[in-house]
Amino acid sequence: MFVKPFRYERADSLADAAAMLRAADGGAKVLAGGQSLLPMLNLGLLDFDALIDVGHVGGRAHGIAREDGYLTIGALTTHRELERDAEVVADQPLVSAAVGWVGSSRIRARGTIGGSLAHSDPAAELPLAMVVTGATYDLTDGTTTRTVKATDFHESYFTTALAEDELIERVSVPVLGPGWGWGFAEVSRRRGDFAIVAAAALVRVMDGHIVESRVGLAGVGDRPMRLGAIEIAVEGAGVVDVGERVGPLEGLDTVTDVSATAEHRRHLARVLAARALTDATKRAAA
Amino acid sequence: MTAATDITVTLSVNGTTVTRTAGGHLSLLRWLRDIADVTDPKYGCGEGVCGACTVLVDGEPASACIVLAAQVDGAAITTAAGLCEADGSLGPLQQRFHEQHAAQCGFCTPGMLLCAHAMLRDADGALTRDEIREQLHGNLCRCTGYTDIVDAIEDAQSRGITR
Repeated sequence: MFVKPFRYERADSLADAAAMLRAADGGAKVLAGGQSLLPMLNLGLLDFDALIDVGHVGGRAHGIAREDGYLTIGALTTHRELERDAEVVADQPLVSAAVGWVGSSRIRARGTIGGSLAHSDPAAELPLAMVVTGATYDLTDGTTTRTVKATDFHESYFTTALAEDELIERVSVPVLGPGWGWGFAEVSRRRGDFAIVAAAALVRVMDGHIVESRVGLAGVGDRPMRLGAIEIAVEGAGVVDVGERVGPLEGLDTVTDVSATAEHRRHLARVLAARALTDATKRAAA
Repeated sequence: MTAATDITVTLSVNGTTVTRTAGGHLSLLRWLRDIADVTDPKYGCGEGVCGACTVLVDGEPASACIVLAAQVDGAAITTAAGLCEADGSLGPLQQRFHEQHAAQCGFCTPGMLLCAHAMLRDADGALTRDEIREQLHGNLCRCTGYTDIVDAIEDAQSRGITR
């Protein structure tokens, strides 16, 4: 816990933070809630000259609103706010369910959606929920803003499409349409840990059969990923047989690490994808 | 080589205003323990997992080891000592922990007390034993096996005690 000293700098706006990042030339990191960054600094896994605290920034980086079929979520919205917001629970319950799996209530009280997405842990729940719902992120460098799809943003382990001087400002998540249901399933070593594998699913059911689906996994590779072959395989299935349609996922390029072997991950991926799809189908049919 | 910059931080700690100038890189836990001599939050894991350093920041539980003091400048901090009576004697929730033998070595107890306080305060209806255990999943105890801690929280709940 005796971290290598760094400068603490407070940004008044995201434009201010972007300018500080440019001035630091790679030596600074953005601090939002700090619930992943500060543990990594405490453990000596990271080392920066300065942290730029954006926690006191106001404006568009805050708040949750519904606009034209999307929920727009400010990057500094905490997990707690996402978990409890009545609009999120009603309009995109996959996001509020996924965020309930993040850490402990202490971590959810301080951690932010923008921080979690920019951190881009491949086993994290929120990037997975964003990829499966088809979310987009507004990135800003203080002068220009660009919009990037979640699937393009998460590039690899802790690596994103963010430029050195860019920050996430807002996240847009499509709302769950009529006829759709959601499912989320996860296995971790201890409650509150990052997932060994997590699965998220959205399905649209008509007359008891799946007509459209989106399913993805976290924890199996270097970033959250959709399972296109499974989405095709479950078309036409109902509650009773959707799980059986999920094959052994032999093509899945899983990793071995201290938490699980590649083979165990592949097994969990199949079981959890089937479980998330079954739950989603039940909810859609209800 | 980077030097830390000193930052002046003012916090209300258990109702007392404390202002100190210290390194801006200091966690809230180090600021409280080493700079402000408030030693009831404990250093356990340093990564926000064990719950021994739990404090309330503006009423919400937080892991003080993964929050910078500078981040929460101006906040009201409550530590386990903030649950005592004004004369320093045990508060009602602390009394339940004492009578149910919910502390063995005592290292996790400050965090357990604050999480118990927050869960009883925020409960929507009576908590079941399983719900109490679920809400304590972020607080590790290596001595008691949790049974006496859950007993103490149930006992407090049955008496309408929240702090």
